[in-house]
Amino acid sequence: MRFIGIQYIGIVLWVVVSGNTAEAKKPIHIPLGLERTRLRIPADNPMSAEKIKLGKQLYFDTRLSRDDTISCASCHRPDKGWSNGERFATGVRGQVGGRSAPTIINAGYLNTGSLKFTKQLQFWDGRAVELEGQALGPIQNPIEMDMTLEEVVTKLNTIQGYRAQFELVFGTAVTAEGIAKSIASFERTILSGDAPFDRFRHNNDQEALSTAAHRGMDVFFNKAHCSACHTGPNFTDGGFHNVGIGMDLDNIDIGRQAISGQAGDRGSFKTPTLREIARTSPYMHDGSLTTLEDVIDYYNRGGYKNDQLDEEMRPLNLTDQEKTDLVTFLTEGLSSHSYPDISPPQLPE
Amino acid sequence: MNCFRGILAAMFVLMVAPVTVADEEVEVLLDGLKNPCGVAVQPETGIVFISESAAGRVVRVVDGAVEEVITGSSGDVYGKGPKYDIGPLGIVFLSKNRLAVADGGFPDGEEFIRVFEVPESGQPAVTYETGTKVGPISATDEIKAEGNFYGIAATENAIFVTCNGDDTKGWVSKADMQGTEFGELKRFIATKESTTPPTDAPVAITVSPRGEIVVGQMGEITVANDAKLNFYNANNGKMLLDRDTGLHDITALLYSPKGHLYALDFAWIDTAQGGLFRLDDDKDNGINAVKIVGLDKPTCMAVGTDGSLYVTVIGSVEEGSQIGNGQLIRLKPGL
Repeated sequence: MRFIGIQYIGIVLWVVVSGNTAEAKKPIHIPLGLERTRLRIPADNPMSAEKIKLGKQLYFDTRLSRDDTISCASCHRPDKGWSNGERFATGVRGQVGGRSAPTIINAGYLNTGSLKFTKQLQFWDGRAVELEGQALGPIQNPIEMDMTLEEVVTKLNTIQGYRAQFELVFGTAVTAEGIAKSIASFERTILSGDAPFDRFRHNNDQEALSTAAHRGMDVFFNKAHCSACHTGPNFTDGGFHNVGIGMDLDNIDIGRQAISGQAGDRGSFKTPTLREIARTSPYMHDGSLTTLEDVIDYYNRGGYKNDQLDEEMRPLNLTDQEKTDLVTFLTEGLSSHSYPDISPPQLPE
Repeated sequence: MNCFRGILAAMFVLMVAPVTVADEEVEVLLDGLKNPCGVAVQPETGIVFISESAAGRVVRVVDGAVEEVITGSSGDVYGKGPKYDIGPLGIVFLSKNRLAVADGGFPDGEEFIRVFEVPESGQPAVTYETGTKVGPISATDEIKAEGNFYGIAATENAIFVTCNGDDTKGWVSKADMQGTEFGELKRFIATKESTTPPTDAPVAITVSPRGEIVVGQMGEITVANDAKLNFYNANNGKMLLDRDTGLHDITALLYSPKGHLYALDFAWIDTAQGGLFRLDDDKDNGINAVKIVGLDKPTCMAVGTDGSLYVTVIGSVEEGSQIGNGQLIRLKPGL
């Protein structure tokens, strides 16, 4: 079992991204707590400095939307925990969606499942496979960026700076596939680890967590059984669960069921990461809970009962002190000093 | 790593050639069963016993028909849709006439391993309440009570069951056994904490020829291909091997007479992918799961005295139907 232990020893691990000669090598910092091998990089989309740079420009470029007002970063903002700080996502012409914008932090990290076999599902309902399958979705969504792929490819091909970079990275003009691969490559660099929890867990740093956060960690992994779903280095099981949110409404968002067709998935949504949770308010798939205190109160009550409510949902009987400590663990323990707070790049003309 | 490889080689019989069975080697012995979830072959007689879970009973197969052996378990429901009526789950013989039955039909914290002296064929069935109870596993301030003891296996001196209560730890529980005396049923291995990444839902369990406890983890039923295979020391619960399998949801594990390790995959996410698989060690790439035959929601398996493989399947029925469509299937000797 020494092999497994080795994965936890390093404070800093590096993935060397490489590709053809046009794709210069660049190290990607893998923060403490995450495992290098679980940064999922598809064989047909190796990372390179040029591709990441291109993906970053595309990510921040509002010209990917019909009226030049919305970019990926509009709803997944670095200064808002790579979410948007609002209950719902707002797209072109002020249109408002029905779900909150999930953070993209560690979205390229396969937290659970088999490295060899498991597909990484994206969006709250898991309708897209891998980041490459996700990246083009919002561009084509009529209430988000409202473009067809043909339109966005044509539009970007009129921009000399993009044409030149696509030629350099892919050896082609702008293509939809290249857009997806570039954005996905950039998103894979948005990683969070090296939090006080990681320094305690992996470096045995007894000073890393405050006394209250330490108590909260114990509540998290035991009495509150948060780790039944928020598990592993990225604090998500990658699965879909009905925790009762929104099930009291007249028009229920059926979530995963719309994709899987399984009755048991009614009202189920993907377990989100808890990394940088202090930055990603409001919470839940519908942004209906404003603070972490609200979230913990909700779980403490056992969730809204319905036929598909997850077995793990039950009254927790947490004391006020335990609830306070749990919030402290989540905010203090899972916030990284190396948070990827990235500034928008200069965009090509 | 050399030591590690050595252990691995000893746990699997190395095979590389793909094998599938021909249709004529698969025989349906019984159908119309209501959610059969356990199967065991009686020592010496070779008679096949089945826990017909939704019917709340254990039966044996005599002259191609079922004969009741244990009756009267209460029932519960598993799943959020599809939902399955369940009662007794795994079964294992401790001796020729002593059968251990794992509960699934009661609330968590009120479930037991029940040990019965089974009546001879032709004698009246015994009632469920007459079994010797081992357990339960109650809740503590911090840990949920346990129940739905799906998988059951026994060594000479202990019984092991997989548990479905506390998803933060994913317990395998153990009761020591000395003759007809049983110790307390206790949480023994926190399987989720032992796996990398943490994977829960231990369901399948068997004992390897070397005496290790071999556990199949379902993982998340909403996540594809995340089932794990884990080996543990039966005495101290120490993890010996942690392997991805590429399967979806392992419900049963079994060593064949030739020493090959087989798994049943229920495949909740797409039951059309379910079936019987041989788990081969392909050295550098971990486990290679070779599909032997497709099966409709397979639940359990046992080896007959002649080397036949007996497999139970739930089959497909309309939601809410009271009609059983489960089967007992026999695969001819040779696996």
